[in-house]
Amino acid sequence: MTNKMRASTLESLKLGSVLDIFKKGTLPVTTDELIDKVFGPKGKRGAMIISGASGIVGAGKVMQFASRLKPYGIPIIALDLPGAPDGIGKQYKGLVRAFGRDGANDIMKNIIQLTYDGKSLPDTLKSYNPKFLLEAIPENLELKKAHYKLFKKDFPDIHIWSVTSGFPSKQLGVGIAHPAFPHEINKIFEIVEKTPSAQTQMLWALGLIPMEVSDDWSFVLDVFFCGLMLASLQYQEKTNMPFWKADKYIRQIIGPNPFRAHDAIGAKGANFLTWSCLYHLSKEYGPLFEPTQSLNEHKDSGQNWYPPDHFRPMVNWQINDKEKEDLRNIIYGSLYQMTSIMIKEKRSDFVSMNAIGELCAQFTRGMLAIMRNEGATNIINTVKAYHKLHPLAAKTKWYPEVFKKMDSPEWQQLYVNAEHDGKAGVITISRESYNSDVDAELNRAIDWLKKNKIKRVIVTSDFHFSTQMVGADTTEFFPALTETKEGFRVAHTWSKTARRLYNEFEISIGFINGKRCMGGMLELMMHCHYMFADADTTLAMPEVTLPVVPGMEGCHWAIRKAKPTDRNKLISMLLDGKQVKAKDTVGWFVDYAGTLESGIKKSWEIVQKGNGVLPLRKVDPGSLNISVKKAKIPSSGNPDFEEAKQAISNCIEQSCNTTLAKAIEVQARHSADFMVTRLCRKGRVGSEYDKIMQ
Amino acid sequence: MKKVKSMFPEARIPYGTWGSSYFPAWQSSPLAEVNIGQFAGEAMARIMGLRKTPVSHLDYLVIGSTVPWHYKFWNATVVASCMGKRVPGFQMEQACATGLQAIILAGAQVQSGASKVAGVLTFDRTSDSPVGVFPERRAYRRTEVISDVWDNFGFDPATGGSMLASAGNVARKHKIEKKEVDELTAYRYEQYFKAKESGFIKRYAVPLEILNMQGKSMGMIEEDMGVKKLSLDSLRAMRELDSCVTGGTQTHAADGMATLLVTSTDKAKELSRNPKVDIQFIAKAEVRVGPGMMPEAPAVAVQKILKQTGLTMQDIAVVKDHNPFAINDAVFAKVMNYDWRKMNNTGSPLVWGHPQGPTLTRVTIEALEEAVDLGGGYVLIFGCAAGDVGIASIFKVN
Repeated sequence: MTNKMRASTLESLKLGSVLDIFKKGTLPVTTDELIDKVFGPKGKRGAMIISGASGIVGAGKVMQFASRLKPYGIPIIALDLPGAPDGIGKQYKGLVRAFGRDGANDIMKNIIQLTYDGKSLPDTLKSYNPKFLLEAIPENLELKKAHYKLFKKDFPDIHIWSVTSGFPSKQLGVGIAHPAFPHEINKIFEIVEKTPSAQTQMLWALGLIPMEVSDDWSFVLDVFFCGLMLASLQYQEKTNMPFWKADKYIRQIIGPNPFRAHDAIGAKGANFLTWSCLYHLSKEYGPLFEPTQSLNEHKDSGQNWYPPDHFRPMVNWQINDKEKEDLRNIIYGSLYQMTSIMIKEKRSDFVSMNAIGELCAQFTRGMLAIMRNEGATNIINTVKAYHKLHPLAAKTKWYPEVFKKMDSPEWQQLYVNAEHDGKAGVITISRESYNSDVDAELNRAIDWLKKNKIKRVIVTSDFHFSTQMVGADTTEFFPALTETKEGFRVAHTWSKTARRLYNEFEISIGFINGKRCMGGMLELMMHCHYMFADADTTLAMPEVTLPVVPGMEGCHWAIRKAKPTDRNKLISMLLDGKQVKAKDTVGWFVDYAGTLESGIKKSWEIVQKGNGVLPLRKVDPGSLNISVKKAKIPSSGNPDFEEAKQAISNCIEQSCNTTLAKAIEVQARHSADFMVTRLCRKGRVGSEYDKIMQ
Repeated sequence: MKKVKSMFPEARIPYGTWGSSYFPAWQSSPLAEVNIGQFAGEAMARIMGLRKTPVSHLDYLVIGSTVPWHYKFWNATVVASCMGKRVPGFQMEQACATGLQAIILAGAQVQSGASKVAGVLTFDRTSDSPVGVFPERRAYRRTEVISDVWDNFGFDPATGGSMLASAGNVARKHKIEKKEVDELTAYRYEQYFKAKESGFIKRYAVPLEILNMQGKSMGMIEEDMGVKKLSLDSLRAMRELDSCVTGGTQTHAADGMATLLVTSTDKAKELSRNPKVDIQFIAKAEVRVGPGMMPEAPAVAVQKILKQTGLTMQDIAVVKDHNPFAINDAVFAKVMNYDWRKMNNTGSPLVWGHPQGPTLTRVTIEALEEAVDLGGGYVLIFGCAAGDVGIASIFKVN
């Protein structure tokens, strides 16, 4: 029997739980079997059609599916009207960047471009045996319906999904797969269907991220994204603040630049889509969603929000604390109100709803995580303040009662889950970068497993939202750029959490299953008794290139586990920041690297049978007498890089050449001290801070 | 208050929905290097934002500017776009009368029923004057080239004289003594610095930060740069350039913008920062005096407007003028038998500078603020303009 803090998001796709994967020693479904189900058996496979293929969404999806379905011999038919601008050609450069010229050409070979007149389908289409249509034509209900009719007439069994950003499935009469921008690389799809289909599971198997959402207008992503745009416009129209400046403040407050995003997507289409979502939402829910005057104007004109280059902004715009508070209340108040409606309607599970804000709408933190941290009282007060500033919104009903159960695991474990079968447990992390939310949730997950007397645990990703582990969320370091105390607090707190994996379990396995694991996330995983990875997974400690000094004990923990003869390899990793393949680090960094399935089986064997399965490399608790000079790392010739290297070298020496007990503070101190240096400010974290916050 | 018929009974100036940049002396600030039309549009949005007045209320824009600026062809529409509001409108100019004439035109626009909320936005950049090239077959040089600001100051094509010479002409005609002009100037400086120190100027002037193309700060425009205290002794010591005209007794070229709204009566109540204050248009007069006599024209215009309205100087609560030369005020006082110490109480262009287009708008804003402080009354605004023109207008503050 499986016990869990909350349901795994895989369950919403009918794919079981993460614990099931380890217990069964295999993934719940394979890509091959799903390809067979969707496109037919090998030798008889049909094609995928993407209609409206020259548009922004269509062209992006053509690229995404062409590259992923090519190995299975599924051709992509890119269908559009004659004379449609060449959206696919525009994507080619990106394809070359991702796959190299030969790879890109190979993928392009798999794309068949056909045109039709909108009234009848080309005769040649039949020869491709179309099995699956992804419709990406303009947002016009009658047009879409006629389009489906056309396909159903010629191909009665074809599975149709619309990429609509608004129309519910009940209006369209087909399933929905609403994708997120940028369409060629964003893996998220909001799926509307009664039960998870083979097509949905196939997306998951192909490495994409389908999320089940309810059949309500604009789904979740566009309520967030268009809702944020609307709130930004409400503030802008109230204050006259130029769009570019409003963007700047909104980015500080919540993450995205809504106006720039519209321009980047293509103002003409994006303005219309946002207007369309809001217009229909306002018809459904009332004035909370009513498009503003300038949105109406921009919808009609298709004009960009940012001024043209010759009118780059000239007069700066500073706002005082009261005005900032108003902005905050408008942005958060409207989003809180909208989210309450979505929760009331059960538009998706909480984890998905939270993740959509982060992964698709570029929120720095997921909306539910923000709300949970605020608490019900603050949320209610913020919405009240919003209604004072924008009284029209008060005419739309909202549901503060949905915030009553914020202590439940559904609210509290948005990023980290834990499951166990009474003997062994699995901790899953669904966020690709480590932040204070993950830290707090990880601690709660550890507490829960310990309370349930679980002594052996696998720490891994959620096999769904997190497809890689990219390190620490650098926005968490912003306060540390000016305050050493804050840098020390973050490094020390997170290190203490990581140590719990080593100290509080009999066996812990850090199981890396994504394509890469770096920086802070890698530091977390290395604290486990064993570290497992897919053979081709890329591992790196890129801090020196940013530069920052690792804060979660990356400068000594793995070195304390390695044989003296292997220590220089780890020192090199820290000082050159280069990537290594997991398979090349077996024995001195990872303990096991193989296929995903073999790793799953092996790690479960260890938690079942104990240390005898694979020798345990213990952490040396004493002083190591390390000299970085002996590692003979060649100079880069770049003074800044050398300065960063020196700072990390000092940290390595001082954290290794002390006891394990003391090293946690030494490392945190080095990390915090470096964070306030000129070099760090000049680097990635400092530049990001200056760009966003200054 | 004596009752006088309003020339635009349906038009109002909503209290407090106005503002201006500071006026940095020419070549002294980042304004010397920017497209002043864009600056004015963005600054107006900022000022209206500070006054809690969304520009979405605007349905028309009258811009006033005298020095050619890049994209001027596109007129008020491009400035409105820089403000973030697509409204129609037009550009007008009448040399130094621009700032007042633009307000009157906006009043007429509202009175006609064509607009409910007309923005008045006046601006100029005298720094780095644009140069005009005029191919003229009949001209001696075949192609005439003028530096728009300085060559126009220096040469009235109708008379052949300069602005500065007109001041000398008027001083001689009215037998004005340099001693009096120096004293008057020193007094004007005192008035300005007193108003500045009291915080009066901060009530309407808005500090603005100018950004370069990369979004980095080029500097703040947060004071009337270049204005320094002048003592009577230093004024007396200055060399006369013409009769009673020295470097101290004439204004200096500057850059800047000023803006206010003219609205219907209903809209004024909605937008005013204090709806109890009612500001009405009463009258306007214009005259043209003899060749080369520009500084005496305002006094003649005032005589005309008083006659038109039946008001006397005793009925006027606030008297304020555009005084590029101190002689303007001395002549006005002499002709009208009025004590120059009673006017320009909160500063005047003689001291804070002369960016042409917005000068009389700022004068008007200051005068209306002063009238509100006094509890209301008639406000007389007047000034001179190129071509020996005098303009005067009266507003009523209730």
